[in-house]
Amino acid sequence: MRGMKSLWAWVLLTPPLAVALVLFVVPLLYLFYVSLHAASPSEIHGSALTLANYTSILSDPFYLGIIRRTLGTAAAILGLCLVIGYPVAYFVALLPPRRRMFVLLLLLFPLMVSNVVRAYGWVALLGRRGVINTGLRDLGVIDVPLDLLYSTEAVVVGLMTILLPYMVITIANTLSALDRRYEEAAQALGAGPVRTFVHVTLPLSTPGIASGMLLVFLLTLSAYVTITLLGGPRSKLLVSMVYDSVVGFQWPRAAALAFILLALALALTGIILAVLRPNRIQGTGR
Amino acid sequence: MSGTDVRLDKVRKTFGPVVAVNDVTLEIERGTIFSLLGPSGCGKTTTLRLIAGFEQPSAGEVYIRGQRVTAIAPYRRDFSMVFQSYALFPHLDVAENVAFGLRMRRVPRSDRGALVKEALALVKLDALADRYPRQLSGGQQQRVALARALVIKPAVLLLDEPLGALDKMLREEMQVELRELQQRLGITAVFVTHDQEEALTLSDRVAVMRNGVIEQTGAPREIYDRPVSEFVAGFLGASNFLDGRVLSRDGGIAVVETAGGAVRVAGASAPIGAAVRLAVRPERVRMNRPGGEGLPARLRSIVYRGSVTHYYMDSAGGALLAYAQNAAAGDWSAGDEVRCAWDAGSAVLVAPERA
Repeated sequence: MRGMKSLWAWVLLTPPLAVALVLFVVPLLYLFYVSLHAASPSEIHGSALTLANYTSILSDPFYLGIIRRTLGTAAAILGLCLVIGYPVAYFVALLPPRRRMFVLLLLLFPLMVSNVVRAYGWVALLGRRGVINTGLRDLGVIDVPLDLLYSTEAVVVGLMTILLPYMVITIANTLSALDRRYEEAAQALGAGPVRTFVHVTLPLSTPGIASGMLLVFLLTLSAYVTITLLGGPRSKLLVSMVYDSVVGFQWPRAAALAFILLALALALTGIILAVLRPNRIQGTGR
Repeated sequence: MSGTDVRLDKVRKTFGPVVAVNDVTLEIERGTIFSLLGPSGCGKTTTLRLIAGFEQPSAGEVYIRGQRVTAIAPYRRDFSMVFQSYALFPHLDVAENVAFGLRMRRVPRSDRGALVKEALALVKLDALADRYPRQLSGGQQQRVALARALVIKPAVLLLDEPLGALDKMLREEMQVELRELQQRLGITAVFVTHDQEEALTLSDRVAVMRNGVIEQTGAPREIYDRPVSEFVAGFLGASNFLDGRVLSRDGGIAVVETAGGAVRVAGASAPIGAAVRLAVRPERVRMNRPGGEGLPARLRSIVYRGSVTHYYMDSAGGALLAYAQNAAAGDWSAGDEVRCAWDAGSAVLVAPERA
C-alpha cells in the first residue's frame, strides 16, 4: 500500500520536477559556471577558471556601498511595511468575513495598476516640477525645488506602497485564522488587552509576519522598474548593477552579481526564519 | 468554607432577536461544583461566558465573591477557565503555560517555579514540564489546562465541556480525578456539559437548562429521582411516562387512574380530577407474574447488556421499560404476560411537554 502510494507520488511529481530541473536548476548551474570565468570580447565568457569576479566585487568599495545601500533600502521598506501593515492587518482581521474580503480587495486594487504607471505617478508627484514642488512654491514655502526624486527615500516610499498589501494580507490571514480562545484564555489568566497582545496575539501571528517579511524582502531585492525610475543614477541597487553589467556585455560579472544577490536573499531568509521561528507555532519541530 | 462564590441575578442575554439566556438566577456555594446541563443551544455556555465577562448581559447582575462584576472586564475578575479546546498557548512549553497566570499577576519569578511544580504535580504531569502542547496527548493537554487554571487559585473555576474531546474511558477517569481534586482543594467550580452522566458524577448541584431557562436546580439525586418536568426526566436518562387523572388523595400520596389501572404517586400536589403525567425510572419497575400486583403488560423484547437486562413491554398506557440487575434476573421470555409495579415514592408527577 505504502509502496504504491509513494510510487504514485513520484509519477505525479516527475513532470514538474523535470521542468524545474531543465528550466531552473540547469540554467542556474550554468550561470554559476559563467560567473567563474573572466570576460571575453567575443564569447559569453573567457576560457580560464577564476574567482576574480567575486573578489573584485567584494573588495571594491563602490560595490560594497551598493550592497550596503541595497540592504539598507530593504530594511527600511521591511520596517515600514511591518509598522504600518500590522495595525492595518489587525483591524482587517477583526472585521466580519464579508467585509474583510471587501477590504482585502480594496487593498489589492492598486496592484492592478502596472508598476511602470505607478512609478511615473510618483515622478509626477515628486519631480522638480511635480505636484509637491509646484504646490510648495506657489504657497511661498520654498524658492528652489526640493530634490525629492532620484533618491533612496523615493525608492523606499515607492516600493513600500507597492509591497504593503502583501504584508497586510499575509498577517491579516494569520490573525483571522487565529482561535480567539487563546486571547480569552490569556484574559482569564489576568492579562489585560496590551499584555494579551504582547504575550499571545503577537507571538501567535509570527507565521504571518515571517511570510509577509519574506515576500516583501524578496520582492524588494528583485524589483527593478521602481528602483530605476525613482532612484535614478544616484540611488542604484544591486539589481541595477546586474543590468548595467549585462548591457556592458560583462556577462561573467553580471552572473557573479546575480549570485551575490541570491546569497544575500538566502542569508536574510535564513535570518528571518531563525529569529521568528514560525514553525514552532504551525506544526512540528522547534 | 461557606458563602456564595457566584451569584447571577435575573441575568439576560440576547443576540439580536434570539434570547440565549432568559432571566437566569442562581447561587453557587463555596467549595462546590455546580453543573449547567442541557442540550446544545440551551444557553449553558453563554451563561458561563457571562460569569467570565466574555459576554455582557443585556440585563441583570453578576457577582463573584459578593462583588458586583457586571461592568468589570474579564481580566480583572477573579476566575480562571478551562476551555473545551484547552487553548494552551502553542508557543509556550508546559511550564510556561502554567506560569502564564502567575506572570500576569506579577508573582515574582523566584516564587513561580515552586508554584508551577506544585500545580503540575497535582495533575501528575511534573515530568513533562518542558514539552510543548503539540507534543502531548489530548488527556495530557487537558491536565495542563487544568493546572494552568488552578495555579492562580481563582475564586471560581469555570469549565466549558473540558472533557468533551476525550474518549469515553479517559473521560470517566478524568471525571473522578477532577472530583477528587476539587474536593481536596475546596475549589468552587462551574461545569458546563451536555452529558448527564458527567453532571451526575461530578456535581454537588445541577441546573438543567433549556431554551435559555433553568428548568430545575437540585442535587444530582434530586433532579434524577424527582424531576419536575418530562424534559428533565427524559434528559437525565430513560424514563417511563404514563398519562392519567388524579382519582383520590391520601395525605401526600395521590392515586392516579391510568389506561392500565390505578397507580400510587408520592409527593404529588395535583388536585383531584386533574389530568397528569407521571414518570418512573426503568430501574424502579418491578416485574411480577400475572396474578401479582401491577399494571398488565406484554413483554415485547429482551436486551441483554452484561450487568443489566433491558425489558421492553407494551401496556394499555403505552410502552414500558424495565431494567433488572442480572444477578437478580427472573426467567422471562418475549411474549410473556407481565405485571409492572413500583413504589409510590418511585413515581413522580411531571410537567408534560407541549406536543
